[in-house]
Amino acid sequence: MNVSLRRMAYAMFLAFVVLIGAVTYIQVIRGPEYKNDARNARVIATRTGRERGPILTADEVVLATSTPSSVDPKLYVRAYPESDLYAHTVGYTSVLFGSTGLESAWSRELVSNRDATISGVLNGLLGGDTRPRGLRLTIEHDLQEIAAEALGDQKGSVVALDPRTGAVLAMVSYPSFDPNTLTGSGSGNAGVALEDDADEPLRNRAIDETYAPGSVFKVITTASGLDFGVVSPSSEFPDPVELELPDSDGTISNFNGEVCDDGKSVTLETGFIRSCNTVFAQLGMDIGGDDLGSTAESFGFNRTIPFDLSVLVSFFPGEGSIEENPSATAQSAIGQRDVQTTPLLMAMSAAAVANGGNAMVPYLVQDVFTSDGTIELSTEPSVWRRAMSPATASVLTEMMEQVVISGTGKKAAVPGVRIAGKTGTAEVTGHPPHAWFVGFGPVGASEDEPGIAIAVVVESGGNFGETATGGSVAAPIAQQVLAEFFEKN
Amino acid sequence: MTRRAEAGLLIAASLLAAIGVAMVEFTQGSWLDAQVAITLLAFLGSFGGLQIAVRRWAPGASSLLLPTAAFLSAIGFIEIYRLDPELAAVQRWSLLVTAAIGAAFLWALSRRGVTVLRQYRYVILALAVVLLLLPLFPDSWPIHGATVNGSRLWVRIDIPGTLRTLSFQPGELARVLIVMFLASYLAENAEAMSVVDRKIGPFKIPEPRHLGPVMIAAASAFVVLIYQKDLGASLLLFGIFIGMLYIATGRSFYVVAGGATVIAAGFVAFRAFGHVQRRIDAWLDPFSNFQDAGYQTVQGLFAIGSGSLTGSGIGLGRPDLIPAAATDFIFAAIAEEMGFAGSIAVLAGFALLVGAAFGIAIRARDRFRKLLAGGLAIVLALQAFIILAGVLRVLPITGIALPFMSYGGSSLLANMLIIVLLLQISHEERV
Repeated sequence: MNVSLRRMAYAMFLAFVVLIGAVTYIQVIRGPEYKNDARNARVIATRTGRERGPILTADEVVLATSTPSSVDPKLYVRAYPESDLYAHTVGYTSVLFGSTGLESAWSRELVSNRDATISGVLNGLLGGDTRPRGLRLTIEHDLQEIAAEALGDQKGSVVALDPRTGAVLAMVSYPSFDPNTLTGSGSGNAGVALEDDADEPLRNRAIDETYAPGSVFKVITTASGLDFGVVSPSSEFPDPVELELPDSDGTISNFNGEVCDDGKSVTLETGFIRSCNTVFAQLGMDIGGDDLGSTAESFGFNRTIPFDLSVLVSFFPGEGSIEENPSATAQSAIGQRDVQTTPLLMAMSAAAVANGGNAMVPYLVQDVFTSDGTIELSTEPSVWRRAMSPATASVLTEMMEQVVISGTGKKAAVPGVRIAGKTGTAEVTGHPPHAWFVGFGPVGASEDEPGIAIAVVVESGGNFGETATGGSVAAPIAQQVLAEFFEKN
Repeated sequence: MTRRAEAGLLIAASLLAAIGVAMVEFTQGSWLDAQVAITLLAFLGSFGGLQIAVRRWAPGASSLLLPTAAFLSAIGFIEIYRLDPELAAVQRWSLLVTAAIGAAFLWALSRRGVTVLRQYRYVILALAVVLLLLPLFPDSWPIHGATVNGSRLWVRIDIPGTLRTLSFQPGELARVLIVMFLASYLAENAEAMSVVDRKIGPFKIPEPRHLGPVMIAAASAFVVLIYQKDLGASLLLFGIFIGMLYIATGRSFYVVAGGATVIAAGFVAFRAFGHVQRRIDAWLDPFSNFQDAGYQTVQGLFAIGSGSLTGSGIGLGRPDLIPAAATDFIFAAIAEEMGFAGSIAVLAGFALLVGAAFGIAIRARDRFRKLLAGGLAIVLALQAFIILAGVLRVLPITGIALPFMSYGGSSLLANMLIIVLLLQISHEERV
């Protein structure tokens, strides 16, 4: 009987050896893989399961919130109640796709610092506030809604700023996406579909895409001519059907292929109001490539814009590259050839005109507040750069107001409010033109009167296609946002 | 090992439990409180009390069993406390009560020796059968069964005059009684059963009438399987029968026949019962059944894998994500927070306990005691193996309690009684 007892004991020991093998395999060999598996809630807990602070608009509409998970009350689920309306600005925080937008840029403030790190434990022991901070944005919900509605299902972007502070009042990019579909651990398919989408819904077209500015760049060309003393609004320019470019066979013609005024001569102001290419191509050549470039850089071209989110650098040919090439200078002066810009920089340019020539540092986050609502940090407006002289800004304002009163920008007019603006219809090879409008209001605002500057771009003509112009497509969108703003203020 | 060293180890195990509770309190951000002291007292009271009983009534008993059981209980208790302090409070009472019952049982055995059980073998068998059938009593009876998680293994007794009920799993105790019965039955009949003069193929087989017990084993395991839907318990029961038949007769025929029956029964169950089939699927590929059948297995694997070598630290992991973490999956919770080091310590603890039990069986004085100790060793080993193999995906998951570690009074009582029986047998070898 002892023999069979021993054998039985050996068999049981063998069984335990199998268990030791199994635990070694699971814990030591496969351990790291299980530990980092995206379905492992421990991973979700460390990456996204912690409580994150709320993100609100200026008027306290909730854009992002953390609620305890129904599955596990210690885990938090991030939700974006406004769905696709703020997707690019607020961004998302996802187990599988990382985080973007403000969720990424301000994650230090948004994440709770109650954790197992030494500083987290110390902070907790010392009675420090370990709850996450919340963000109050500068965006106003009604403007954001109107801007998105006005843009509709046309690819493009709308950016509105407070010209005196640089605070972003609205930032819309279409197509958009619902960030709620990317937060869960089962979001793989939704995320890959968004990444593969040819329409690039994940891209924030306001800051992460550049377009040829076309005629809206004439604002900058005009500022350059005025600042360098080359012209005044009443300066006379020849008025041909086609402007022949030196050193090349190319010509520059006006939008309709017609003369700008009477076919003999035209003033700068009339050329501006009617957006005549011949006038500004000539003006560019008169200014010279380098001087035009230096003004463009004063506005923020070729510079990294300090912002809560990273912004693509807008491009204007650098010093020396077009100085000896008048035809390139002529094309650059009307915002074509290699000139590329973001909607944010165009909004900032309009804001600089409205703000007496000073471009402000743009910002999205007004306040950082603690869990009990105390404001811990508030953004103070600051000047980023001097784009032009106050005198130039004031002359430009008058010309831009005329554009809305009697020129290409009539559709941006808001009854009872003095609006200034400039349209653009940027030619793109192989596609319908991009329709632009930049503008601001009210003209001649007093110190405490609220103001707004706006840039609208509709990619490839939007719903109008080849027949689209800045005045017909982009100006009406800007008009709706401006009207909403002035109805409220 | 002396009784003195044993006492030292019991104090060490009690301190381990108390320090573990203190660590949980600390990592959960609470201040140290009476829980630490109460835990220390409960462990000293239960295992210390048992040791005093051993010193008095079974002074020659093995000194390996109590410290090992105390160590496993302490590790399990820390994790139960970490998961749910209220469960831990109940478990503390269970420790004290079962230790008291164990001490009383030791006293009873010590008066006439463990062989007294042979006289009552049919009473014991009848009791075991009644206990196995108790869960099938209809819900309207004052003593009735209850279905929990699809298995009918619980019995509820309504306490007269109150709304309270007493719940327990009689199957845990029935196993110990069945081992007692089988030990005395086989001690007398094994000779006849080991006579083999027929051959089928390479196997020598006994007279057909001696196959009766195997048939009974298969039948009772099937009853448990079909009516109580408890795979683990039925596998365990079957393993006890086969293991004890093998020990008694030394005939591998029983093991082969038993193994074949298990496979055949498993196949039938797989085809007949949806829940068995889902379990097999979840076992073979838990990750593609992650959202449903494989959820528990995957959560267990994630927990164990996340533990790495040294674990997350007690109170710093997320064992609360594992379903049934305090009961069937307590090992996964321990592996997460105490790491590979803790896993191996637990496995070594069980190996030591089972090894000590087999050692007692081998040194025991007669057939009955050898069979009883061997059977109890098998119960300890199989309980641990079946649930650990399930958690570690060596076998499909079948929910049974991990001896001394899982939350639950019925299991604790059954295993305390096993330890007491082994203590008495080891004492009697020297008398």
